[in-house]
Amino acid sequence: MDAALILVVEDERTISNFICRALVSAGYKALPAATGGEAITLFFSHRPDLVLLDLGLPDMDGLEVLQQVASDPQRETPVIILSARDRESEKVKALDLGADDYIVKPFGVPEVLARIRTTLRHAERVRSATHGEKKLSYRVKDLTVDTARHQVFVGEKEIHLTQNEFKILELLCLHAGKVLTYDFIMKEVWGPYTTGGNQILRVNMANIRRKLGENPSEPKYVLTELGIGYRLLEEG
Amino acid sequence: MGSLLGRSRTVLRAFPGVFRDLAVTVMLMAAASFGSAFLLRHTGVENNSALVYVLAVVLISRLTSGYFYAVCASLVAGFCTNYYFMYPYASFSLEFAGYPVAMLSMVAISLVVCTLTTQLKNQAEEAVQRERNTRALYELNDRLGREKADIQREKDRETIRGNILRAVSHDLRTPLTSISGAAAVLMESGGRDQRDRMLLEDIKSDADSLITMVENLLSVTRIQGETQIKKQSEVLEEVAGDAVLKVRRRFPEAEVELQLSEDILLVPMDPMLIQQVICNLLENAVRHSGDPTGIVLRLYRRGETAVTEVADRGRGLTPEVLEAVRAGRPLSTSTSGDASRGMGIGLSVCQSIVTAHGGVLEAENGPSGGAVFRFDLPLKEEEEREWTQP
Repeated sequence: MDAALILVVEDERTISNFICRALVSAGYKALPAATGGEAITLFFSHRPDLVLLDLGLPDMDGLEVLQQVASDPQRETPVIILSARDRESEKVKALDLGADDYIVKPFGVPEVLARIRTTLRHAERVRSATHGEKKLSYRVKDLTVDTARHQVFVGEKEIHLTQNEFKILELLCLHAGKVLTYDFIMKEVWGPYTTGGNQILRVNMANIRRKLGENPSEPKYVLTELGIGYRLLEEG
Repeated sequence: MGSLLGRSRTVLRAFPGVFRDLAVTVMLMAAASFGSAFLLRHTGVENNSALVYVLAVVLISRLTSGYFYAVCASLVAGFCTNYYFMYPYASFSLEFAGYPVAMLSMVAISLVVCTLTTQLKNQAEEAVQRERNTRALYELNDRLGREKADIQREKDRETIRGNILRAVSHDLRTPLTSISGAAAVLMESGGRDQRDRMLLEDIKSDADSLITMVENLLSVTRIQGETQIKKQSEVLEEVAGDAVLKVRRRFPEAEVELQLSEDILLVPMDPMLIQQVICNLLENAVRHSGDPTGIVLRLYRRGETAVTEVADRGRGLTPEVLEAVRAGRPLSTSTSGDASRGMGIGLSVCQSIVTAHGGVLEAENGPSGGAVFRFDLPLKEEEEREWTQP
């Protein structure tokens, strides 16, 4: 396969420079865009494999660019959002609009490269045959989730989860590698009309972690995305 | 006349009430009697004495409190006029036509006059009292207005300062990110000798420290900018876990162990701010304790609060630092020195964030010598508002 082409939408030239340089060093092709208008033009003319999108653009709202990219009928292009640490609601909105992942500013190079690798792999898997279908079982490291038999194992040991705990884990497995917002999980597990807070989800997750013997400071299976949601860690 | 009356009243005020009033009454009555006797001898016109007594009664009612003395005086005056100064002298007589009428009308006039005077006196006192109240009220109002203006001015200044700080911090973030990022890219690209790599590492680590400091400043403006922090229920161990991951990413040499609480602690908080506090405390332990290994981050429940505790195995805290944390004031630059650069800002930020959440930050030296930082957060908010959070 050719080197993946990555569209870098970022109005700060210095940041765009080092990201592009890092991408090229890592074996990708980089395409910089400084404005939302330029980004949309380049997106439709060059058909990148992934978009790195800064939400604070000079000419238009980054979320608008996201919507245009997400509404492309020909193919699904993964989008990673670049956003400031203290703007959780913005990140949640972007994820709900179809962004695949987000990176918190200020970010480091290894982090950006790791996220890009994960997202590209995830997109590849989605394009292949298993897209959207529920699998009979999932494996993450030594965790096995058997959806047909409603069983969960860590190594050889069976873990007993409640119905909702199992549903949450199954949902995370189905979207492995992707950040799922609290809202999304609440609606999928407790139904579209749930009201009130997401404490019930948070408590369920804490219980799942305890049952799986996982410490949040050394996550093996589930990663907390603070203020946003959860993500199932993939192999590698 | 007014000033004379005023002066005599000030003199009279020195005597205690009843005694003073009695003395005034007796003295004025005596003066009136002498005056009448004097007039009687020189003019021979007997009826003047009645007017002299009425004058005395008026003065008595003016100078004494209440009606009592003036009424007594007017009765005595009526008797005296009749007894001493009307024919037949030195005997009480109502035989002559007009005498009873004269005497009764004199008593009546005295009574009416003394009633009027007393009323007047009360009204005057009330007026003075009213005026005093009004003035006090006015002064109070004036002071309140001045204080309010001062507070408003101080608040405005604070807002402006906060806005500048926020703007500067935001603007610093982008160049610092690209400095750190560019240094990282150059380090990765290879083909450089050891010394160049060390310089690049220094650039990157200093840029990263500055980024942390900027994040701290932004957190402070986030607390000060809003009247109340936006709290939502968070599982404390998730926030703590995230903080550990973040610190480990920056300091790969750090060894941090997260010890979970027995039960799940749901705490109302701004998760980003509390994560910042835990990061600062961990970074403190990694950078300033002298031993970046064996750091323990422990979460536990104490009554109605959730406690987060960071303990290290380093050299412990100096009395100055302990005192500063206990008193809740920032570390002065002289005590923090060069070795603990950035510790001051980090700790003040922790203190402000914890306080804004209704908790307390404590510091002590552990039994084995290392530093222990600990803060508690209330498990319940005063008003149950967290359910309104989306």
